[in-house]
Amino acid sequence: MEGGDPEPRDPGAAPASSLFNISMVKLHQSLRHVEPNLRHLVLVANTLRRMQDQMQREARGPDSPEAPSVVDSPAPVSDSRDSGLEPCRQPPSDSQGDDLLLSTMDTSISTILEDLGQVEVLSPARPEEEQPLAGASGARQEPARTSAPCLGPLELLSSASYLLEDGLEDIFEDIDTSMYDCDLWSPTSLSGFKAFSGAEDSDSKALAGAEDRLDMSDLDYLMDVLVGGHAL
Amino acid sequence: MQKKWVVFFGAFWWQGSNESLPSAEVVMFLKFSLRSIFYGAGGGGNDIQWCFSQVKGAVDDDVAEADIISTVEFNHSGELLATGDKGGRVVIFQQEQENKIQSLSRGEYNVYSTFQSHEPEFDYLKSLEIEEKINKIRWLPQKNAAQFLLSTNDKTIKLWKISERDKRPEGYNLKEEDGRYRDPSTVTTLRVPVFRPMDLMVEASPRRIFANAHTYHINSISINSDYETYLSADDLRINLWHLEITDRSFNIVDIKPANMEELTEVITAAEFHPNSCNTFVYSSSKGTIRLCDMRASALCDRHSKLFEEPEDPSNRSFFSEIISSISDVKFSHSGRYMMTRDYLSVKIWDLNMENRPVETYQVHEYLRSKLCSLYENDCIFDKFECCWNGSDSVVMTGSYNNFFRMFDRNTKRDITLEASRENNKPRTVLKPRKVCASGKRKKDEISVDSLDFNKKILHTAWHPKENIIAVATTNNLYIFQDKVN
Repeated sequence: MEGGDPEPRDPGAAPASSLFNISMVKLHQSLRHVEPNLRHLVLVANTLRRMQDQMQREARGPDSPEAPSVVDSPAPVSDSRDSGLEPCRQPPSDSQGDDLLLSTMDTSISTILEDLGQVEVLSPARPEEEQPLAGASGARQEPARTSAPCLGPLELLSSASYLLEDGLEDIFEDIDTSMYDCDLWSPTSLSGFKAFSGAEDSDSKALAGAEDRLDMSDLDYLMDVLVGGHAL
Repeated sequence: MQKKWVVFFGAFWWQGSNESLPSAEVVMFLKFSLRSIFYGAGGGGNDIQWCFSQVKGAVDDDVAEADIISTVEFNHSGELLATGDKGGRVVIFQQEQENKIQSLSRGEYNVYSTFQSHEPEFDYLKSLEIEEKINKIRWLPQKNAAQFLLSTNDKTIKLWKISERDKRPEGYNLKEEDGRYRDPSTVTTLRVPVFRPMDLMVEASPRRIFANAHTYHINSISINSDYETYLSADDLRINLWHLEITDRSFNIVDIKPANMEELTEVITAAEFHPNSCNTFVYSSSKGTIRLCDMRASALCDRHSKLFEEPEDPSNRSFFSEIISSISDVKFSHSGRYMMTRDYLSVKIWDLNMENRPVETYQVHEYLRSKLCSLYENDCIFDKFECCWNGSDSVVMTGSYNNFFRMFDRNTKRDITLEASRENNKPRTVLKPRKVCASGKRKKDEISVDSLDFNKKILHTAWHPKENIIAVATTNNLYIFQDKVN
């Protein structure tokens, strides 16, 4: 049943697969815009998550409810680029396929939104803040991340991100890095920037907390991590 | 049927027991009853009969994108009506001040001023064009001869001054009447220039430009009751401005998560309380409304009150969150209530009760079974606005097929009317419309499947004092009035 027909009495019984496809298309279309409509994007992403939960529950079926292993990885962007576009839109037919698909979806959604976080860094003059952003929420622990094998949608979605890996490099081009010359500071490892943002440690947290978060550029953050987190 | 008999019986009984001729009260009662009989259950709004008054805008069906109306707002006296469109223009209509005793209807609205408020801009850093579409217009209360309004697009708010010029100086010594300069040697006498009447000229000039304070798209602006400050809200932040200061604003709400991948909620609307200058509310895409007190802290991330109605488990679906997303929030004039509009309903909240609304009105419940297709064609994301009448007794909101709905809070009656050029004879009373959800369609009813979802009424406004309403279809502005006897 396609989305065009009226919903059955129990909306929950509508085939999630067609809704899922429609939602993925919407997400993709949303990302075509340099500045996506955030409300639309968030609502579609949340709806996708709902479907994900539903599909997870259906997939597990009679099994005892286990904690979903939906852990995301800061999968270096280069990895995702390598894998070709896979037909991950096919509704999974087995539970393993489900998990693959679902963890992918979660990664994709998270990655899209994470990329949106880059918007601010390049924005024109910010309004004057009256006080430091009261620790918008103290310490937020990132969930440990593992990479998802099926990265079709991830590739599709993140490639539409307007802040590409190359763009990031350009920012750092004219910076004198001789002081921090080490293996960590090489163009290829910059692509693992997301890995840094994922692995929080108390040192970097302390440094971050001391400043007005909104004023901190990506560069400063990276520097702090490098300087403060030798143990990495 | 029963109703008719009761009414007539009542009327005759009254007549028989007092004087031989019906008193004025009886006549009124009869009129009232006859109206109810002929107009049925409709007539929401104390049995107001709504009549067509005017329609503004292009007649043809081919809608130019720039002409799409994006906001409608009456000023505080109701004399002026402003509209903003997708092309960045503001058109202000002014009500004629007629002799109301002799006229059959209230004054008509005619164009008073038209100006280009916002131009498309290009953000070079992000390589994107900033739309010039006017998202909101808000009037300032009138302090002197000039009128002021705030208009905003996605990124920039502007304060416009609209002033009249009906005199001009004449009789300069060094200038001719047409502006050419005279040779000083030809000046033999001196005179003092005097002001002489001229044809009225209305000028709009931008007095303040409030820019560069919003990373995300501005969805609301609201002027504080102190008439000195105002707030602007985008998807994730709310800023407080002083009307005189353009290079600085204070961030009072910030819901941007530290990590954007944790983003699950955005701000959809915000408004200052009409009386308490320290209080404002903002609504979210998850169907919650937060009331904040600016005295509590500089950054109002912690709400004073959280208004949320628990989800109805029987109506749960994948789309529950989307349809609960609030598209508009408006305080009542009294300040005691606030109204929210989500996709299918209008809810009235008592500010003293957070756990559920005090009244809920279904706008188009027949769409609940169509959510899947409405999701597919993106209609489910349409943002309808709502408004109160001057006495807070009736609320109004738009729907599809150019229908709009009114709910009378006292009589609990509602009415559906249509904004269409078919009924465009002045003082034609609008016929109530009805949508047939399922089953056999009665005569004059419209079935859900015949509704035109491209004809949506998102913006409506109610005159602050009188029963005059402005309803915007895609590119036309309709003005309706109640029938004046």
